[in-house]
Amino acid sequence: MATVSETTLVTTGNESGTKWWTRFLDPSERTLAVLLLMPAALLLTLIIVYPVCRLVWTSFQNLSLTSGVPATFAGLENYTLMLEDPVFWETTWNTVLITLITVPGALFVGLALALMANLPFNVKWPVRLSLLIPWALPLSFAGLIFAWFFHSEYGVVNDVLRRLGFEGVIWFNSANWAFAAICLTIIWKTSSFMALIILAGLQTIPRSLYEAADVDGAGRIRQFFEITLPLLKPAIVVALIFRTITALQTFDIPFTMTRGGPGTSTATLAMYIHQNTVDFLDLGYGSALAVVMFALSMGVTAVYLRMIRAKR
Amino acid sequence: MTLNKTMTLLLAGAAVTLSASVAMAQTNLRVFVSSQHRPDVWRKAFDMYEAKNANVKVTIETGGNTSEQQAQYLNTVMTAKDSSLDVMILDVIRPAQYAAAGWTVPFNDTLGSDAANYMKRYLPAYAEANTVDGKVVALPAFADAMFLYYRKDLLDKHGIQPPQTWDELAAAAKKVTEAEKDPNLQGLSFQGKAIEGAVCTFLLPYWSMGKQLVSDGKLSFDKEAAVKSLKLWKDFVDQGVAKKNIAEVATDDTRKEFQAGNVLFAVNWSYAWGQFQGAESAVKDKVGVVKLPAVQGGQPASCLGGWEWGVSAYSNNKTEAQKFVQYLSSPEISEFMAINAALLPQFPEVYTDADVTKAVPWFANAKPVVETAKARPVTPRYNEVSEIIRTTVNGVLAGQSTPEEGATQMEGRLRRVLR
Repeated sequence: MATVSETTLVTTGNESGTKWWTRFLDPSERTLAVLLLMPAALLLTLIIVYPVCRLVWTSFQNLSLTSGVPATFAGLENYTLMLEDPVFWETTWNTVLITLITVPGALFVGLALALMANLPFNVKWPVRLSLLIPWALPLSFAGLIFAWFFHSEYGVVNDVLRRLGFEGVIWFNSANWAFAAICLTIIWKTSSFMALIILAGLQTIPRSLYEAADVDGAGRIRQFFEITLPLLKPAIVVALIFRTITALQTFDIPFTMTRGGPGTSTATLAMYIHQNTVDFLDLGYGSALAVVMFALSMGVTAVYLRMIRAKR
Repeated sequence: MTLNKTMTLLLAGAAVTLSASVAMAQTNLRVFVSSQHRPDVWRKAFDMYEAKNANVKVTIETGGNTSEQQAQYLNTVMTAKDSSLDVMILDVIRPAQYAAAGWTVPFNDTLGSDAANYMKRYLPAYAEANTVDGKVVALPAFADAMFLYYRKDLLDKHGIQPPQTWDELAAAAKKVTEAEKDPNLQGLSFQGKAIEGAVCTFLLPYWSMGKQLVSDGKLSFDKEAAVKSLKLWKDFVDQGVAKKNIAEVATDDTRKEFQAGNVLFAVNWSYAWGQFQGAESAVKDKVGVVKLPAVQGGQPASCLGGWEWGVSAYSNNKTEAQKFVQYLSSPEISEFMAINAALLPQFPEVYTDADVTKAVPWFANAKPVVETAKARPVTPRYNEVSEIIRTTVNGVLAGQSTPEEGATQMEGRLRRVLR
């Protein structure tokens, strides 16, 4: 390979051989590796590094598309505004709360679903399919469907409550109930993803371990805590990383269910970013908010990665 | 490089084709019309223009169900500097924003030095809403305002006159709902959902107390009046005059519930009237419409609505587009739309036109309401102002915060935006 390219390059290129690209003719593996990585690195720079740098730069600017004036350098103004902005704190707190509730919630429900799906059924596909459906459903569809479920007058949830003799709840008229409805929807939507990953983990556990445990007289519960759970840990950590990052970016479900209401009590940070950039066209402030969310996601990922390393 | 070159060639080709078509004097105008404002009838008005101007072809584009959704779509088109739209219909709150962002072309060149005079033919509120720093940034398409709709049959039955104040309305609503013993009958329906309509909900009693939100571009927030306004609406909920989930109610929900016969009093825009008289309406011929009540000791106030025609700054046919808009914003078309689509005229004299009064008799009563309706604050950052007011109204009605807390939050957040 190297020789072929060398000859073609030399015959078509210049003869002096002192140009900068000549070192790429060195057939060592290291240079080849750099060459082969180059397209991917360039692509990543173009679609990730550049936008992120641009975002950070915009966050230091006064840039509002509705003002009609060109961008000016604002220093840390957007960030100081943010610290005084009660809606920023409220939406950030809501985002953290959603993460703290729905990630463990989805983990427990997902674990239970995976254990059930792993039972020796004769016909496995209906179980697997019902696990896949919530995962395959677009987030905003799930939000719209559950908004109807929780509708105070026409919703199925209140209908069931009334049939059981309770009074219906006006779900979206109270911050707590609306928050509960959103968390339930998110858990429903995301636990199937947890279940799929955990199910894959479950199937890698050799049956012989359980047989040996049976022989030793360990009960079902003991087997679960001594064999299943420890061996599932890697799968669970992977599922948690994915779920936590998407939870920090929660947008679709509260957006379609409550639009952040009542008031701003169920709005998330991602919704506030969307509002500032898309509705208000205040790109400077919106970018500063996005930088904070980016930092938050990076921080959480770093903690998880450290956890994985520590385990090894 | 090659890609760039191809693009340049393509663009140049497109430009040549475009200028060629201009030279052949065939102009294609693409017009955005809000889907809730009878695009089918506007189409007929466009056809009439095409018949008179053989060189112009008008295509209609509709989308979005609410003012916010349409604004979101147009925001995208305008920030992309997309030239595909030539003319767009804008909610009365937007011409000032669009002008500040440089998204519309002023009409001054077309209208000449007579621009200010030209605007005098419209109702004063619309001349004002479409003029920014002496520039005519858009021309009025039709007028609108909020009214109080009531069930004439029920008020007559219980011997009650339409209320002049909000207190009278509460008393009347209690009397009728108690006597009727219909669990589905609500006393009053208004907009409590966090939509544009909730901004008017807040402003109606606030204005009625003689207060302004913004004067000379500066915030002139009267906290006491704001607390009273929020408390007025919250009391309606607490006293059972309005239903408990009013924080979920949007403009068209009010219309639907009234139309189904479940509401005694409703605050709504003029479009509701036509629907109430429709074949599917349970309240046909049982509806009365009057100006909105005032607070005790205050003046009645209504929220100014209406929509305006703007010409995109990115249009390739600005001159033709402006000529077309002048045609659309003429007394003839106003009369045509009043008769065929029940859209309120932006010209004072059209209200008393014989054909109009025959087709829509209640327009005679609507004129004084439109004339005295107040405009929402004019500021380039209106979207933010609107969001602050509507989420606060929504939060207070849902019991999320007290009227006092709501007014404090509103003031703090408005100060940040209008600093």
